[in-house]
Amino acid sequence: MNSKYIILILAVLVIISAYMFTPKGNYETLQIAGSTSVQPVVEKLVDKFQETHPNVHINVQGGGSGLGIRTVNQGIVQIGMSSEQLAPEDTTGLTAYQIGKDGIVIAVNNANPVNNLTTDELREIFSGNITNWNQLGGPNEEIHVIVRESGSGTMQSFQNLVMGQTKIEKNAIVQSSTESVKQAVKQDPGAIGFISLVNLDSNVKALKVNRVYPSQDTISNGSYTLQRPFTLLVKGQPEGITREFIDWVLSPEGQAIVKQTKVVPVNATT
Amino acid sequence: MKDRLGEFLIEKGLFITAISSVVIILLIIVFIFSEGLPAMESYGFLNFIFGSTWDPSSGQYGILPMIVGSMGITLLALIFSVPLSLLCAIFMAEIAPKTVRKIMKPVIETLAGIPSVVYGFFGLIVLVPLMRTYFGGTGFSMLTASIILTVMILPTIVSVSEDSIRSVPSEYKEASLALGATHWQTIKNVIFPAAVPGVITAIILGMGRAIGETLAVIMVAGNVAQFPSSIMDPVRALTSNIALEMGYATGMHYSALFATAIVLFMLIMILLVIANYFHYKKKINVGGGYL
Amino acid sequence: MPYRIETRDLNVYFNEVHILNDINMKIPKNAVTSLIGPSGCGKSTFIRTLNRMNDLIEGFKKKGDVLLDGEDIYDPNVDVVELRKKIGMVFQKANPFPKSIFDNVAYGLRIHGIADKDKLEKKVEKSLKAAALWDEVKHKLDKSAMGLSGGQQQRLCIARTIAVSPEVILMDEPCSALDPISTTKIEDLIHKLKKDYTIIIVTHNMQQATRVSKYTSFFLNGEIVESGPTEKLFMEPEDKRTEDYITGRFG
Repeated sequence: MNSKYIILILAVLVIISAYMFTPKGNYETLQIAGSTSVQPVVEKLVDKFQETHPNVHINVQGGGSGLGIRTVNQGIVQIGMSSEQLAPEDTTGLTAYQIGKDGIVIAVNNANPVNNLTTDELREIFSGNITNWNQLGGPNEEIHVIVRESGSGTMQSFQNLVMGQTKIEKNAIVQSSTESVKQAVKQDPGAIGFISLVNLDSNVKALKVNRVYPSQDTISNGSYTLQRPFTLLVKGQPEGITREFIDWVLSPEGQAIVKQTKVVPVNATT
Repeated sequence: MKDRLGEFLIEKGLFITAISSVVIILLIIVFIFSEGLPAMESYGFLNFIFGSTWDPSSGQYGILPMIVGSMGITLLALIFSVPLSLLCAIFMAEIAPKTVRKIMKPVIETLAGIPSVVYGFFGLIVLVPLMRTYFGGTGFSMLTASIILTVMILPTIVSVSEDSIRSVPSEYKEASLALGATHWQTIKNVIFPAAVPGVITAIILGMGRAIGETLAVIMVAGNVAQFPSSIMDPVRALTSNIALEMGYATGMHYSALFATAIVLFMLIMILLVIANYFHYKKKINVGGGYL
Repeated sequence: MPYRIETRDLNVYFNEVHILNDINMKIPKNAVTSLIGPSGCGKSTFIRTLNRMNDLIEGFKKKGDVLLDGEDIYDPNVDVVELRKKIGMVFQKANPFPKSIFDNVAYGLRIHGIADKDKLEKKVEKSLKAAALWDEVKHKLDKSAMGLSGGQQQRLCIARTIAVSPEVILMDEPCSALDPISTTKIEDLIHKLKKDYTIIIVTHNMQQATRVSKYTSFFLNGEIVESGPTEKLFMEPEDKRTEDYITGRFG
């Protein structure tokens, strides 16, 4: 009976001391948060980075571009992720590093015969002025507009790149993630939505915009205009492990991984 | 002496655990109000509650469409699930043979344990296309959301009301049967009325779950911050509004989302008060005794 | 002497437990028959077999016959609902419904299809009068029955039972939870009712059996030890066990 207790107490002590004597000093932590569009790319990068830096703890969280900018400003995270075209006032006091470019793909149902839309047509569709596919040379099928929640980086980029000052129609269905936009488009012959090129797959059909099909090449050479930068943000000037990580991401090794994720590397454009 | 000390420590320990949940709730309330009230004040309480436009990018924060959305979804879900689950509860408590009940009970309890994302995903993949095929439109609608919620709150209402039906004293049942009543007459006139307070509690719990459900509703309701003109229109619930935009919101927008939480909180409180009032009133009518 | 109810070699089991053993009994018409015996001897099970109340209990099995006016009440063609209408029952614990006094008495009438308000009111008044409760409750018929005293509740249950005009009334220790005054009232009531109804009463109280009943049967361990006119059974019992019981040597 007594020995049982002693063993229990010893076990607890061992566990506690194991934590206490962990050589904390050898570990560095890096917190990253922000755009859910950038998140998968950065997670891939982090996996690779940690192979050569086992002593660094890196956390990557989503939450949206807005959260990325806010938390990096507040000093809660060292690196913020953004997938929006940033206005100068957004980045006061921050240093921005573009790590790649992403395309905004206009996605329709695989059964939809329409192949090409102009930006003007897109604006008319999303503002609710064009309501049937037969107005665009398609079948007599009501257009169902699917958008993302306001604040989403993809949504903001779409608003900036396509809509400008025009408002998106209020009856548009709001989906909370790229995956659910894809699901909705996949099932509905009348649906139209927009997703990141990174997430494009055979479930939906990508449209040409202004006669240009979205691909790494067309984004890289700028002919596909619906594109946005993926940016890492740091408060002030990066130091230590933050600097190391960003430098590595921008190196050829890092950019090769960026490319694997279907994001267009920046260095390829220059 | 040692025993007394043990007793004392256990009593205090229990008190601390009990009080901690109250403290946590209070902290949450204080936090929500302190974050949300500034928005309500600067935007105007009435403008906020009765405003019909939600457009954070142009500084408009009216949440009436979401209040209507939340209430509509919840009400519809209750309309579908209450009769269904009460009949199910009656069947399980009174009519089903022991073996059937032994199978049904765990099945229904499992239904309660399925995570809401699974319900939402099921709704998105199966129900939304079905609704679009049969009713037109996009398939994302108040009706779709309420059907998903119906299934989600069913197990709560079934198991709580089944318990309350089973706890009706068997004397009532025997008295009724001995007077030559049929089984159904007995259920309808004696057993069920006696179980009503418990049934009301069951409905309150179901309602609470329905109004608070977020994820599954986001996936199938369409999340349009507009007044629905029919149950086939997409709507946005209060919970969805918070969850959708919280990650991106800053400043006034951020505070307005907390204010949405205040409204949701008060809505739930009002519903609870109403429901408890009916619960209490029914109890008195029954005349005290066991129930 | 005409008999209402007759049992022939009645055996009752709950699951594998043998509760009643070869009960042969004849219950005379329009008279009160008492069943006495120690707790657990099977009296209650016996009368619950007479209106098929035991059907509700899982594991109930019976062998032998129960005849009402010569017809087997366990025959598959018998409508249990009709049978229970004919054979009313008053339980050990007063069990009025959580409804108003009026609704309690009207309950049986309503479920048998009487909806006419005048008719209901007349019948309720008549039943409450027959149960000697009318004067105490006539001004508060719409009040909850749960507010009545124990004795009043039990008389209300009797009123509720006779409202549906049964031919036989089974009473399962109706006074066991009542004070002496209430008990007296119920006993007086039984005296009044016996002209019109065949009554079978289970009782623990031997004085009560002598006061209310014409015939008495003594149950012991699931068997009938002795049956006969009440006076004879108590004055000159034939069986030694009966004598031991009524003189208080056990039970």
